[in-house]
Amino acid sequence: MLRHAICAGALLALVFVSGNAQTSLNPDISVIPRFIIDSHDGERLADGVREFSRPDFRFQELELVVSSYLNPFSRADVVLAMHSHNGDHVDFSLEEAYATVFRGLPLDLNVRLGKYRVDFGKINMMHPHQWAFVTQPLSQERFFGDEGLNDLGLSVSTLLPTGNIYTKLTFDLLRGTSIGEATGIEDTTEAKPTYATSGRVMSFFTLTDYSDLETGISMYTGIHDPYNRDRFWYWNFDFKYKYKPDMYTSLTLQGEYLFNTRKGRQDREFNQFVDDAGNPERRSIKTSGMYIFADYQFLKTYSVGARFDWSQSPYDDDDKARAIAVFFGYYPVEETLGLRLQYQNTRTDIAGVSQSVNSIALQVLFSLGPHKAHPF
Amino acid sequence: MKKILAVLAMMTLPIVAHATVRVVTTLPDLADFARQIGGDKVTVDHIVRGDQNPHFVEVKPSYMMKLKSADVFLMIGMELEMWAPQIIDGSRNARLDVVNLSKSIHKLEVPDKVDASQGDVHRYGNPHYWLDPRNIRAIVNEIVASLIKSSPADEQFFRTNAEAFLKKLDTKITEWEDAMRPLKGAKLITFHKSWSYFAAWLGLDVVDQVEPKPGIQPSPGHTAQLIQKVRAGNIKAIVVEPFYDASAPQQIARSTSATVLRLPTSVGGVDEARDYISMMDYNIRTLVEALK
Repeated sequence: MLRHAICAGALLALVFVSGNAQTSLNPDISVIPRFIIDSHDGERLADGVREFSRPDFRFQELELVVSSYLNPFSRADVVLAMHSHNGDHVDFSLEEAYATVFRGLPLDLNVRLGKYRVDFGKINMMHPHQWAFVTQPLSQERFFGDEGLNDLGLSVSTLLPTGNIYTKLTFDLLRGTSIGEATGIEDTTEAKPTYATSGRVMSFFTLTDYSDLETGISMYTGIHDPYNRDRFWYWNFDFKYKYKPDMYTSLTLQGEYLFNTRKGRQDREFNQFVDDAGNPERRSIKTSGMYIFADYQFLKTYSVGARFDWSQSPYDDDDKARAIAVFFGYYPVEETLGLRLQYQNTRTDIAGVSQSVNSIALQVLFSLGPHKAHPF
Repeated sequence: MKKILAVLAMMTLPIVAHATVRVVTTLPDLADFARQIGGDKVTVDHIVRGDQNPHFVEVKPSYMMKLKSADVFLMIGMELEMWAPQIIDGSRNARLDVVNLSKSIHKLEVPDKVDASQGDVHRYGNPHYWLDPRNIRAIVNEIVASLIKSSPADEQFFRTNAEAFLKKLDTKITEWEDAMRPLKGAKLITFHKSWSYFAAWLGLDVVDQVEPKPGIQPSPGHTAQLIQKVRAGNIKAIVVEPFYDASAPQQIARSTSATVLRLPTSVGGVDEARDYISMMDYNIRTLVEALK
């Protein structure tokens, strides 16, 4: 209740400020709502019936983005989000709030402090409205949860001396709560505080006047079970290739592979691992996940693409899922208004039991306010 | 000891003698001006290609690398390069001198109201001022001041080069004006409002744009209206930048007697546009041929 009141107050304050103090010191304010109509045929599979559900039209999320320079050396960004749960309940959350010192520090350092999307892999730094598709890749959803790797912390990055090639090294010290959402252990109040660390090194290569390649390696480690102090390690390899011969056409290829190792004493449902004799045991788990997609933009306003996902569970190599999605985007006037249509087939395979679900979704989004140029 | 110091001093001399100002510009036209003024005392690079729309540039880390070691960053300003702040911030270069060259320009088409219903309007006015060559003197003066700031010892060198370039440009301006004088009042359609300063300089009448609003893709209804306008006004030319899709202008041309002219707005936009003067030579020559 208090959280809702604070968020509503913040929204009102922003509206008041933007409406009453038209000075150049006003922050940039953008509002980006997303709506969705979707249907799937998995609702009655348990009864042996495969039929598409009644299309459900619902509010998905609204992002309120406020950003501005604090001084010549730093800036701040705040992203407030309104989420919908099953279409009938909406709540607020502070998605990001961080300050970045981007200039004036020794060794080309850049320091970020606050709550933010962690520089891990490629898609983690992208907000859903920046995706070419509708649904989150399975590997990110399974290993990090709906919000991705988003945590409170301190990030330090520097540029490595690699000649004309841009190479950035980032290190994050994090509160370590983001992983709890992905593993189901949300109540950690009785446990000792857990911290996590993350790092990424990425390089950007200009291949031709019209094509570029970015590659990166990321690492993330922390405690996934705060009661038993069991640690996990994620290693992630990512790439993005973009060919853009003119302002109307582009081809993007992007993929990531995540490898997880951890020690665990229980599965995702908190069932204890036991050895052959029935005694509790601590197992070493190695699982992975990946996605790859291609997105072709043509005539400036259209895009078409496909994505392939495959992922195991963080806790069980016998719990697998794969998805194939095809998507189409239409942005009639610039990127201030967009429509995305996606078909996805998702097959889950848990301990030899398979299930396949088809889903169709139409997403509508629009963007009010200043629109920054997209980063590569 | 003295000998050692003398050797060290001699070793540093060549470095001092060849110290250059590292200049990065947004447009290749500005790079041309910086080279003309700076000569061998500057190294110059640019971000936007001549065949690229300067309004829409993706923020690439490679651009940040260009700015990371630069001394001076020259930009047109007036929000033409909306992407530039992200590149400047990403460069982590605290000593970068960012120079907005529009400060002393007499600005055209400054809007009363700015919102998205007007299309991609620029709140400080139309930013394509470099296409009126009379504005180049103001640009050159700003560049000279920024280079002197970075390398005061070379002040006279920069001023001498700038005057030589402006003298050459003045001669060309007279030549271009003489060539276009018989065409004063000629009507044109342009794809985008890139040619307002150019038309104001030469007394050309830009009747309308192929874009219904700045930055908005041509629509069938607006194209049909343009066909009527071109027929009624006996308009001979539709000017399109090399980076725009010419299908709508070609459709208008097929239905009328107008010709589509691909005119570059920046150096490198066509092969003939090797530098600013050759670009303007090409544009004037092409227009004279089409409108005579």
